[in-house]
Amino acid sequence: MNDVFEALGDPTRRHIVESLSRHEASATQLASELPVTRQAVSKHLTALREAGLVESRKQGRETLYRVNTEPLDVAAAWIVRVGGEWDARLERLRGLVSSRRG
Amino acid sequence: MEVTREVVLDAPVEEVWSALTDPDQLEEWFTEDGEERELAIVEVEPGRRVAYTWDDGNVAIELEEVETGTRVVVTETGEPGWNAVFALRSLAYAYA
Repeated sequence: MNDVFEALGDPTRRHIVESLSRHEASATQLASELPVTRQAVSKHLTALREAGLVESRKQGRETLYRVNTEPLDVAAAWIVRVGGEWDARLERLRGLVSSRRG
Repeated sequence: MEVTREVVLDAPVEEVWSALTDPDQLEEWFTEDGEERELAIVEVEPGRRVAYTWDDGNVAIELEEVETGTRVVVTETGEPGWNAVFALRSLAYAYA
């Protein structure tokens, strides 16, 4: 699975995610909203799918895409947890080296 | 995924370096009371940088002498996994 923040580093992909968060859409529908070709949209959708941010289902001959926010939630939770652990750790380190002051 | 934290400690570089690399001192701040973790030091640039690996991922700590003491910059690199989902639930509680 690719890094979600890398996947969202592109403004077109962010637009796609924002659009899909409001409603399911096909690659064609998404391309009609954007100044890029349908092929470009397909490439972006592949990158988003690899990051776990987008899922798809078939409806007849069409493929419809929708957003999956779980990878973002998981990444954010990790950042908050690990950051918090380091804040606490560094305060313990501060206490340890300061307690040596004469 | 990467997280960075930075502090300035009121202590000379040598003292901070010692706290980062001496196992007895590491025990006093790296883990919380009673917690047990396996930590391996994998890279050292004495007085400047130390890299560790441990069960959660990789950590690099860089030291820089500054006017008021020592700047400590920590970067942890890891992969958010399913255990992060539990952290998300407790986060939801905190926000509720």
